[in-house]
Amino acid sequence: MSIKKTYSTLAHYLSVTIYSIKMALLTIVEYPSNILGWLLSNPIQFLLGFAAIRFAVEQFGEINGWNYGQLAFLYGISVISHALSMIFFVQGWFMGFYVIEGEFDRFLTRPMSVLYQFFFTNINVFGLTDLIPGILVFLYGCVKTDFPFTVTNVVGILVMLTGAVLIRGGIYILLGSTSFWTKSANDFGQFTQEIFDKTTMYPLSMYPESLQLILTFLIPIGWVSFYPTSELLGIEHSFSTGNMGVWITLGVGIITMLITGFVFQTGLKQYESAGN
Amino acid sequence: MITVSNLYKEYHVTQKGKGLGGTLKALVRNEKKIIKAVNGLDFHVGKGEIVGFIGPNGSGKSTTIKMMTGILTPTSGEVLIDGRNITKYRKDVVREIGVVFGQRTQLNWDLRLEETFELLRHIYRIDKKEYRETLEVMNSILGIGALLDKPVRQMSLGQRVKGDLTAAMLHSPKVLFLDEPTIGLDFEAKYALHEFIKEINRVKKTTVLLTTHDLSDIQELCERLLIINDGILVDDGNLTEITEKYRYMKPGTA
Repeated sequence: MSIKKTYSTLAHYLSVTIYSIKMALLTIVEYPSNILGWLLSNPIQFLLGFAAIRFAVEQFGEINGWNYGQLAFLYGISVISHALSMIFFVQGWFMGFYVIEGEFDRFLTRPMSVLYQFFFTNINVFGLTDLIPGILVFLYGCVKTDFPFTVTNVVGILVMLTGAVLIRGGIYILLGSTSFWTKSANDFGQFTQEIFDKTTMYPLSMYPESLQLILTFLIPIGWVSFYPTSELLGIEHSFSTGNMGVWITLGVGIITMLITGFVFQTGLKQYESAGN
Repeated sequence: MITVSNLYKEYHVTQKGKGLGGTLKALVRNEKKIIKAVNGLDFHVGKGEIVGFIGPNGSGKSTTIKMMTGILTPTSGEVLIDGRNITKYRKDVVREIGVVFGQRTQLNWDLRLEETFELLRHIYRIDKKEYRETLEVMNSILGIGALLDKPVRQMSLGQRVKGDLTAAMLHSPKVLFLDEPTIGLDFEAKYALHEFIKEINRVKKTTVLLTTHDLSDIQELCERLLIINDGILVDDGNLTEITEKYRYMKPGTA
């Protein structure tokens, strides 16, 4: 593809994304009571989770060499990448449903990537309700750790968040794509979130080494928050990432997306639609 | 405009035995059966034709339409739309087609009709001027202007179908596929749909392929009928010829 065509395609996808965000916001205005419920219940869940950490730290001093401020930083930034993945990739939880109900038909008749349409024409603006407590706890952590907002650091955070969201989204795509072969709607959403929570909001080093290895090299969850955060805060851990922690996260994110995207395309070829 | 060559679609289905015992047995030993939904189709539809695609339920009609619209991948054979392979070059070729599913809407349920049209305008990259002109034409044929402000969930079936027809034509496709478009419609709505198809065919030379069980659809619209059964083309001719041919046949003897 020539540069001009690439640019034109990106502009096309961007314009559709922007319009889809507008439609998502309009939908909220149509049904305002929905977001009220979410605004109340979701933040409470995360603030409670954070209160648990505070309690643990007060009892034990530190967790694995991480002090209170650092834990807040880690927790906060994990909730932020979680919220962003909920805004753009939560549909992945329902891929099985789309497969067996034949809901992909419409996407296939339109001149855009099916995977893109599946996620980006149904943006979940409610994810913003998770974002707010995440940002609050994160900023609190920044203050407590005297985190310097240098250009390098800000770029580092943005790079890390991008990579983290790509890894999370990629894993949802992979799990959702299994429905193309099993032809059933596996409800893996909640349970995946539990695993993500426990492995991203607390220092990975708490867990046995075998688990750490799996979560570093096999299922790259360690890269979602623990490794890049350790590097940003200057905390030592089992192996050195040089100064590249956040960039490795981005790389892992892109590779995860490429692999899971390929799995999705392969599954789509087997798509059987659904009766009438 | 549409060329179907040597088209086959097979499904592999695992045979499950009856009851719990059968299900458990299937976990251990899998008996696979091959179902030939489409078993060798060849036909050509020229530009500007209005063709009825008819056959009993389970004949392979829907499977064929889905292969022609890029939804299913053929087991073998190809579908060319305006000379281009729709399976291989889906994203490009689907620009030239519009699809209306009678049983499913593509309209956003929660919002005003116009929001869906705007989204499609972005997806198909339709020029603003062209978009307004097309809406004008749709308004003159269907009266869609009055419905633009209405949330889709508040529409009657007839209004919704008008919305779907307009949505399918916004990007001025060369071919319009309609899958059972008149299901559930009252006389007035059916009439409007028939007039719509005749008009776009007349003005824009749109090629139309529709599947239907409805006699009035066939009589009003279809110069030509493709009859499919058991995955193969059983007959291909114009309406009068076919009516004559089968007039005195007893059902089940075809």
